[in-house]
Amino acid sequence: MEHGHRIGFTEQAGGPPCSAPIGRAAGPHRGALPAIELSLLLLLIFGANPLLRAADQLVRYEATHRAMGTSFTLVEYGHNSAYLQEVASQVFQEIDDLDNQMSNYKPSSELSSINRDAAQHAVMVEPKLFRLIQDTLEYSRASDGAFDITVGPLMKAWGFFRGQGRLPSKAELAEVLKRIGYRHIRLDASARTLRFDTPGIEIDLGAIAKGYAVDRAVEVLRDNGISQALISSGTSSLYALGSPPGEHGWKISVRNPLDTSKAACVLRLQNLSLAVSGDYEKFFKLGGKVYAHIMDPHTGMPVEDMLSTAVVSPSATDSDALSTSFFVEGPDAARHYLDTHHGLTAVFFLPAASAGTFKQVVLKSTVTRLPAGSFISLECH
Amino acid sequence: MRKKDVTRRDFLKSAAVAAVAAGGARPVKASPAMLSTSNPGSTVHYGFIGTGTEGCSLLKQLTTIPAGRCIATCDIYAPNLKRGVETIGSNPQTYTGSPTEYRRMLERKDLDAVLIATPLSMHAQMVIDALNAGKHVFVEKTMYFKEEEGDAIRKAAEANSKQVIQIGLQRRSSVLYNVAMQMIRKGALGKVMFVRAQWHRNNNWRRPVHDPKLERQINWRMYREYSGGLMAELASHQVDVANWAFGSEPISVVGTGGIDYWKDGREVCDNIEVIFKYPGGRKMTFTSILYNAHLEYNEQIMGDHGTLIITIGKGMYYRETVAKASNGKAKENWWAGATVTQQAEQKGFPLFPDEAGNQGFLDREMLYAKRWLASMGIYEYEEPHDPKWSELSNFMASIRDGKPIACPLDVGMADARAVIYGNRAVDTGNTVYWPKKEA
Repeated sequence: MEHGHRIGFTEQAGGPPCSAPIGRAAGPHRGALPAIELSLLLLLIFGANPLLRAADQLVRYEATHRAMGTSFTLVEYGHNSAYLQEVASQVFQEIDDLDNQMSNYKPSSELSSINRDAAQHAVMVEPKLFRLIQDTLEYSRASDGAFDITVGPLMKAWGFFRGQGRLPSKAELAEVLKRIGYRHIRLDASARTLRFDTPGIEIDLGAIAKGYAVDRAVEVLRDNGISQALISSGTSSLYALGSPPGEHGWKISVRNPLDTSKAACVLRLQNLSLAVSGDYEKFFKLGGKVYAHIMDPHTGMPVEDMLSTAVVSPSATDSDALSTSFFVEGPDAARHYLDTHHGLTAVFFLPAASAGTFKQVVLKSTVTRLPAGSFISLECH
Repeated sequence: MRKKDVTRRDFLKSAAVAAVAAGGARPVKASPAMLSTSNPGSTVHYGFIGTGTEGCSLLKQLTTIPAGRCIATCDIYAPNLKRGVETIGSNPQTYTGSPTEYRRMLERKDLDAVLIATPLSMHAQMVIDALNAGKHVFVEKTMYFKEEEGDAIRKAAEANSKQVIQIGLQRRSSVLYNVAMQMIRKGALGKVMFVRAQWHRNNNWRRPVHDPKLERQINWRMYREYSGGLMAELASHQVDVANWAFGSEPISVVGTGGIDYWKDGREVCDNIEVIFKYPGGRKMTFTSILYNAHLEYNEQIMGDHGTLIITIGKGMYYRETVAKASNGKAKENWWAGATVTQQAEQKGFPLFPDEAGNQGFLDREMLYAKRWLASMGIYEYEEPHDPKWSELSNFMASIRDGKPIACPLDVGMADARAVIYGNRAVDTGNTVYWPKKEA
């Protein structure tokens, strides 16, 4: 699959290779003159050790922001904290704009008006959102419907939308399943319009919006000359831009799905994204049984034989969609996808035979061609 | 999210430290203790002037303070006098009939202290007379009415420096407010730049009058001859909170207001909107309206790291999602997992005094449990006493045991100045500046 929003990435791909000294990519910064003088001075004192020089001058800036029902956390390295703050504001503004456009909780969002009107008539869609919806339909086709942005009514039937969990009746499920299916979304690329071919369809971008927002945030960071940053959306979607000063990749621990205070895997990532899907943050218990929030669109039931999935790819949008898709499909079906798409790493956390244990399956694309400047190491316990 | 937990613990720790330091009500400035006259174990014999609504509210608290005994009450209005006597229940001697009758009460040698809850315009003369008669004085806020009265009271207080003078700003005696101020001093709010306060009601702010001849006497708050209006009766509490939080009094004030809704013959505004400016660009806004009660009353104290929303009986702390800039690198270790929802983060933390202090393990655990329950909205912290009870107990303890005064003269004077200048700003539409302090 090729996605429009990945173009920005490949343009940036010619950056410093991962072994190059970190922190030399000069971002625009204010009050640069004294900094240059200082660096000259340090150069005289410390000789030409670029790592030492970079570490002396870098400022670390960390900020969090609430949006999309979660918290986005951003860390950037640069030369001037005021500049870094301004960039962070731009990043969060971009995320808020996307939230206002793509939320299905906000009646005024573009997505809400699509959901209201698209069964009656074709609705014109903003170009980037249109492209994103096109992409989601690609994921749906590639996963044979395991990934589906029309599962909203199903989530509601199970009480995962603003409420307590509940067990829907079989009749209710059968009725709801009639209103599910990505094939009911009809796109007209030339007119850039969308319509539903049957009433009752709703689009819910919850499985992809956070990853998409992370990608757009990374674009803002790059456009502003930031080359060392990490942005995380509620810990489930993140992108590691460059590496922290003096490091080889950003260190990221993936939670053990059965004991979330522990790490199941430790990754180091540079210019790559990671997304995690898990059933341990949103679920309810009924009659001793746990029902989690990730639905199998084919059965209308929550997925049961998977604890968590983690996907690494160059695009956070891809990672987000694929972690959900793989969660529903399981490793066997995912393997086929990995055979035909390059640059992906997926980790499956599956329930093991004895209670309280799990097994891990790591799968990689047959062609592990990563963009230049990217780096991944993965260590699972 | 692991990071969030750490921050929350950090907050609780700092709040706990703050609370330990707070301990109980402490004044900003320690006042000279009444060592020469203090007499632990004795009973303070006091007289009460002005047994109207507010007076009776104080008398009710006084009934459960054994350190004092009411031996005299004074009010010009017979029904109020009767109500006061009934409220206190200690069979006090009564003084009534003329506006200067209180002076006869002050002549009593067996009277240690006087409490004053009369209309504002009467405060200054009564305070001065009581001080000069050798009595300890508790006077309701606002301390005085006219600017020049402040100096006269100060002179009388300085001439009788061994007597206690305390002003009835009861927030100064609230455990919660003291915790809040300690949190501010410890930096929980970062740089405190702004206080936003409102006191909104939806009624005419009148008391019922069965005989029109008594209108000015009963509804004295409506008339400029006696009253400073909403500023004196309501803003005085909240401007004092701002003074306390900023550790300073204002330097200027602008404001507006009007009689725009209750056009019933009143002379004081039914709405005022004022901005006090403090040193360093800090500001306080106050609004009071009598035609919408939705926001009721509280003070919102804002710093670049957090917000305190506080009123009598309830305080909440909200952390700003503050960015952190630091030099050099940090140990980067990030967690990834299923999406963490934001609901938990949006909630504030209830203010909670750490009464456990140096107590044992179980008490500390109990406190943490309570605090956790409070954060879930299951348990509500309540002040151990009504702050009015606390301020009156403090008054008795200052007299008898030489305890520091919770709300001493300087605090009351700063508060009265803000009220007087605030009203002047509303009346004239001009910026009113505080006089330059003498070096």
